[in-house]
Amino acid sequence: MDFGPVIESFPRLLWGCVGTLGLALAGMALAIVIGIGGVVLRDSRRAIVRWLVISFVELIRNTPFLVQIYFIFFALPFVGIRINPTPTAIIALGVNGGAYAIEIIRGGVQSINKGQVEAGYALGLRKSQVFRLVILKPALRAIYPSLASQFILLTLTTSIASAVAAYELTSVAKQIENDSFRSFEVYGVVTLLYFIMSWIMMTFLNLIWSRCLNYPVK
Amino acid sequence: MRPYKFSELKRRHLLLGAAATIAMPMILTRSAFAVTPDELKKRGKIIVGIQGDNPPWGFVNSSGKQEGFDADITELYAKELGVTYEFVPLEVANRIPALTAGRVDVLFATMAMFPDRAKAVQFSKPYVANIITLIAPKATVIKTNEDMGKLSGIAVPRGSAQATQVKKNAPAGTNILELDGDAATIQAMLSGQVQAVGGNMFYKDKLNESKPDTYEDKLEFQRVYNGACTRLGEKEINASINAFIDKIKANGELAKPYAKWMKQPVPQFPESIEGVSFSAS
Amino acid sequence: MDEKEFIFLLQGLKWTLALTAIAFAGGIVSGLVVALARTSDSRTLARVTAGYISLFQGTPLLMQLFVVYYGLALAGLRLEAWQAVAIGFTLHASAYLGEIWRGSIEAVPRGQMEAAKALSLGYVSRMKDVILPQAIRISLPATVGFLVQLIKGTSLAAIVGFTELARAGGIISNQTFKPLLVYGVVGAMYFLICWPLSLLGTRLEHRLATATR
Repeated sequence: MDFGPVIESFPRLLWGCVGTLGLALAGMALAIVIGIGGVVLRDSRRAIVRWLVISFVELIRNTPFLVQIYFIFFALPFVGIRINPTPTAIIALGVNGGAYAIEIIRGGVQSINKGQVEAGYALGLRKSQVFRLVILKPALRAIYPSLASQFILLTLTTSIASAVAAYELTSVAKQIENDSFRSFEVYGVVTLLYFIMSWIMMTFLNLIWSRCLNYPVK
Repeated sequence: MRPYKFSELKRRHLLLGAAATIAMPMILTRSAFAVTPDELKKRGKIIVGIQGDNPPWGFVNSSGKQEGFDADITELYAKELGVTYEFVPLEVANRIPALTAGRVDVLFATMAMFPDRAKAVQFSKPYVANIITLIAPKATVIKTNEDMGKLSGIAVPRGSAQATQVKKNAPAGTNILELDGDAATIQAMLSGQVQAVGGNMFYKDKLNESKPDTYEDKLEFQRVYNGACTRLGEKEINASINAFIDKIKANGELAKPYAKWMKQPVPQFPESIEGVSFSAS
Repeated sequence: MDEKEFIFLLQGLKWTLALTAIAFAGGIVSGLVVALARTSDSRTLARVTAGYISLFQGTPLLMQLFVVYYGLALAGLRLEAWQAVAIGFTLHASAYLGEIWRGSIEAVPRGQMEAAKALSLGYVSRMKDVILPQAIRISLPATVGFLVQLIKGTSLAAIVGFTELARAGGIISNQTFKPLLVYGVVGAMYFLICWPLSLLGTRLEHRLATATR
């Protein structure tokens, strides 16, 4: 085994990690937006809107991410929607994460007891205060673990975006592998890099949890 | 004897079953490593790495059958050895790893002969010529290497000769998309994701199948020769393939697939290529 | 797209299902071993297994496939492509199923374990007759959910060059020049297999919640 080429290209790999984290953050942001929007639309009074949201969620959750990103990159241009690799990756990650986020956020919102809201108003809290302290903060606390693990999952999913040559760690790894023919060494090191990245993110997310959201709940 | 009830399964039966499930892939292993022509004849079969989506060199048609120039050459070589053949269709970037890992005995897989590849695998004498080009729609203006920098993007298959050439010749900062194979690269061109692709002399035929008379070769990077690949150090099979190639050149058998797929007469092949040795030493 | 090309897609589908079946079967067996190791009384064994699980849960499936695919060859094992890929998926499944079943083993009320020990049942009997039946029932929704993930995950074998459904779609797309139609059909095929399983998982989840109320 010869790790020389990998060590030589280590800076490129680190920049690839930056690309991965960038895609993950952008994808997660879009996913949360789609998630919140989807939850609001899910409770619409019009049946067709509800049906559309449900169909969207079921469709995304029951098809592979690879097929979704292939579809956006190779098929959509044929109806006039042509998107570059990196935005394609962000949109695919956001749509995919969004479908899961809709279910997660919906669960959190439903976990808020109506009695809590009524009690808030009874205590004289303003509408914005009720929303912030009685609905939002407890809901966030309820969904935080699921949302956090979804974020880490999204970061790992970015590796599939290499199939459309988006800029992230796996794409860089593939290039180094082709130049050096040292497949196992390159992918072994890259796997370790992903592990370290997800470990760092998990620690960071746990920190946010213990500092802001870990208050006692009956 | 009364039927076995599930609860009567003894622990050791379960353990045996578990061991078998895990061990089965290992038992079914079929080895493809360190071969000589004699071993191939004894085994009765040669396992050949070939391209699965690069017409007319090697492609799987819609009935699932492997066809192409390299397929015809494989057939001739297998006949020479007196064995049957089995194809393993490979992605561009996977060809050399599949050979060095022992998944195939030999590569007849559009392998252009380059010095850095010669460090990883053993080439045979050349048996077919190829031209590495840049292809784009006729309307796009590309006359020099610098013009490549003005394009929004160029797609190439990872690990291919054209990937090396485009990266070498395009100005710094050109947007080069390295995709996972010939099929993805062609799809990128057809969907308009890129304005040009690095390919070989047959890409334009494939592209023009979808939109007739739209695409043409813009730049010619390199004329290359393809050889069969075997693992480094395996002298006997390398010698056997070289003898075979000399034979089909001399008796005209090479000309038939050449006319059918390359649609050209057989060219003169060079006696040597710098940095690439044709014989194992 | 004509009939021949549709049949090519179906052959890809056949490989998708075959890979899933092998990985799920192998994953169940090895996942059980992982779960038992993770909940063992030996702290070293539990810790090492926890490391194994977090390695597979903290790295992309694509990388796991690559490492197994190229690593096995380096270790001297000459395997066909589908065998190397199947081993990769099996290891992946063993870690995830192991973690799911660890959770459900720990969800079985502690009293059960204590009662079994009080009745001086040996380890195998404790697990086989008391804990595991209850744990498996608790784990059914999550296990079915993972099966859906596994089916979708087999699409990554395409990137290693293996012709399962996703790669078959790419090949046919390149022959018909109709990616919208082809990837639409491919997506529909995955959907038709995964959706019923997802619904089953949800129904199991509701039934379980009702039963334990």
